[in-house]
Amino acid sequence: MAEFSAAVYQNEFLPDGGTDVNAIVTITCKGAGTAGQSGAGSAGEIIIVDTSGSMGPATMAAAKEGAQAALAEIVDGTYFAIIAGADRAMLAYPQVSSGPGMVQMDARTRQEASAAIDRFVGSGGTAISTWLDLAGQLFSSVSAVTQRHVLLLTDGENRERPGRLDDAINRATGYFQADCRGAGTDWQVAEIRRIAQALLGTVDIIPSPAEMKAQFQEIMRNAMARGVADASLRVWTPQGAEVLFVRQVSPTVEDLTQRRTPVNPLTGDYPTGAWSDESRDYHVAVRVPAKAIGQEQLAARVQLALGSDVVAQGLVKATWSNNSELTTRIDQQVAHYTGQAELAQAIQEGLAAKAAGDEATATTKLGRAVQLAAATGNDEATSKLRKVVDVDNEEAGTVRLKRTVEKADEMALDTASTKTTRIRKEPTS
Amino acid sequence: MNCPSCQAALAPGARFCENCGAQLGAAVAVPTPVAAASGGDPLGDAPISAPTRKPAAALPDPPAPGRRPCAECGGEVGPDLYCVECGTKAPSERDHFQEQPAPWVAGVCDKAIGKARNEDAMALLAGAQPGGRPGSRAVLIVMDGVSNSIDSDVASLAGARAAREVLRMPLPAGMGTPDSRDAAVRKVLGDAAAAANTAIVAVTDPDSTNPASATFTAAVLEGRRITWANIGDSRSYWLPDAGTPVQLSVDDSVAQAQMAAGVAREVAETGPQAHAITKWLGRDSEDQTPTVGSLEVQESGWLLACSDGLWNYASEPEALAAQVRAAATDDPLALALALVAFANGAGGHDNITAALARVDLAVDPAALGHNDHTPTPGGEPTDG
Repeated sequence: MAEFSAAVYQNEFLPDGGTDVNAIVTITCKGAGTAGQSGAGSAGEIIIVDTSGSMGPATMAAAKEGAQAALAEIVDGTYFAIIAGADRAMLAYPQVSSGPGMVQMDARTRQEASAAIDRFVGSGGTAISTWLDLAGQLFSSVSAVTQRHVLLLTDGENRERPGRLDDAINRATGYFQADCRGAGTDWQVAEIRRIAQALLGTVDIIPSPAEMKAQFQEIMRNAMARGVADASLRVWTPQGAEVLFVRQVSPTVEDLTQRRTPVNPLTGDYPTGAWSDESRDYHVAVRVPAKAIGQEQLAARVQLALGSDVVAQGLVKATWSNNSELTTRIDQQVAHYTGQAELAQAIQEGLAAKAAGDEATATTKLGRAVQLAAATGNDEATSKLRKVVDVDNEEAGTVRLKRTVEKADEMALDTASTKTTRIRKEPTS
Repeated sequence: MNCPSCQAALAPGARFCENCGAQLGAAVAVPTPVAAASGGDPLGDAPISAPTRKPAAALPDPPAPGRRPCAECGGEVGPDLYCVECGTKAPSERDHFQEQPAPWVAGVCDKAIGKARNEDAMALLAGAQPGGRPGSRAVLIVMDGVSNSIDSDVASLAGARAAREVLRMPLPAGMGTPDSRDAAVRKVLGDAAAAANTAIVAVTDPDSTNPASATFTAAVLEGRRITWANIGDSRSYWLPDAGTPVQLSVDDSVAQAQMAAGVAREVAETGPQAHAITKWLGRDSEDQTPTVGSLEVQESGWLLACSDGLWNYASEPEALAAQVRAAATDDPLALALALVAFANGAGGHDNITAALARVDLAVDPAALGHNDHTPTPGGEPTDG
């Protein structure tokens, strides 16, 4: 049985008239078990492989090998299906045209699915909305499946009327999760990131076919380790308070503020998706009406809820004080993640400006990113930034854009922008 | 059993956690003692003289108050002790608690605005029979944890509760002579102080270089008779409605010694050593014998047991009586709250405890109905 715990890191002291309370809440899950094995329902896995005409022979061969390696990771008994995606989605396995569109994994179905993958041929265009919609239909065709996860591989830009993909993403949001990978450099990071963020998954680039197999294995292994099918971050704030934002800040930065589902007038749920044995950090910012010096009050109850069951709770407090030594201190965790969130934004905005030809903005933003990555100890971001810019002064954030940049390096910087690093923690309360 | 809030171990029957102050309320049932089922000896480890059932004369514990609503907005207070509506922190039950074992007996034990922690403690008992009537009984125990020692808030409460257990049964009548009765009563009150002392030592860290200590004041009303016992500088007063108010207990303090030597009260009680006590309970206590006295009251009024957090602002019996008159109430809880509010209003520099029993000799017996079991005055049954 999975066990959750919550820890809060904050400076609860506010100056006279202070209203804004910031806290990092770490939620840790232990004993998650294996997907679909908790007795609450079965897990379903769908592998979507881009089979459009743009897939070169090497990429296609690697994608086949990767998908087959992923099959090997799917635990027996798990419902699964394989989709071949082009300008329309085709159910490659199981080959049925009605009834349940997923089958349970065993030696025979694994063998049959593997054979179906072998028969993939690249042709046609890329209409990702149809892929997502078919995945949704397949999941809904097996009512026993309650934990739904998709592994999606594409190599090209979506070729659909604007809005179509967004509509499909909206239909899938809250219904299944998706980890997305882009092969090569002809796909759009922003587009695929939109899918992954909405569907509570990861996005990354697979620059060379040789890395395909390992990435697929890892994604599927992680998916199978998520023994807790679904959970919500539940945030209570007092009457008269305002939630400024709720953000996942580790392992990646994901703004959840707009994804609130009201539970009651004072409480809202934010989606977290499935959990394995892991630890995630959330930055919660709340504005409360100021109280008199010496007063203490609760600014937020931050809970993890499995359905209606609250399994962990952290208390975010506010205490008004006239001791400036207490009130001016910024909690180390809050400062760190505030910097990391700004880092992600600076990288994304810098790269967007660079793509649009606005070199001045790109230089400023990426310079700020270099500065933040160094200050917050994000070595991965630092090394990826250095492939895109020449750094004159790290501390001051003065950089020059490199004249020639590998497209893959730029995309890798973009996909990695939301990944954060952690610092050592000492509970404040 | 453990605290649902902080997981600290709880004493049997605890109404709130002595570690974090979380109120346990009805969630924690008082455990029923189970007879030891030992193999050989049918009596097990139980003392041979232990009663097999609660004697009819034993006073019951005060009813557990429910969790009070939020003081700020009236909303429900959650198990985490914050209001579920407005988030205001509820005062911990240890910081402010009230007991009202009977309509005529109540007390308030309050942290006071000037203190961070409530080291005062209080434990009350009372029967249903109104004060002053034959057979009426009330026990008021007030203890003040010494604030420069460690965990004295835990110690004082444990001590007060332990003393309450000793005083649950009526005081003994002795062999029929006043002297023998005095000796028997003195023995029981000494036992109560000793029980409090044992409880304090039991919760004191054996390695502590600054062991917990506390004062001890017990005031027992039986019919018209007040019996008091004291160690340190918490006090009991008799405050009649019309007659001359008196301080019953005598402080064990430097100030008291100076007053005995002729120094004026206001000089002694405001001097640098005013609050230095010469006797206390705790591991480093040298003398745990209380000073004991008694008084037969002749008129209606209030029996008050209090800590120095109250009498600091009204030491003279007349000054306290004036505050009681100003409160103008017959309800002991309202009066205790008024006295605590008075001390807080005057500065609230120390924890405040006020425990009161109303003695009403003017009540028409017909209005009360008749009680066939009412013992005759002076002839109370004893458990000896």
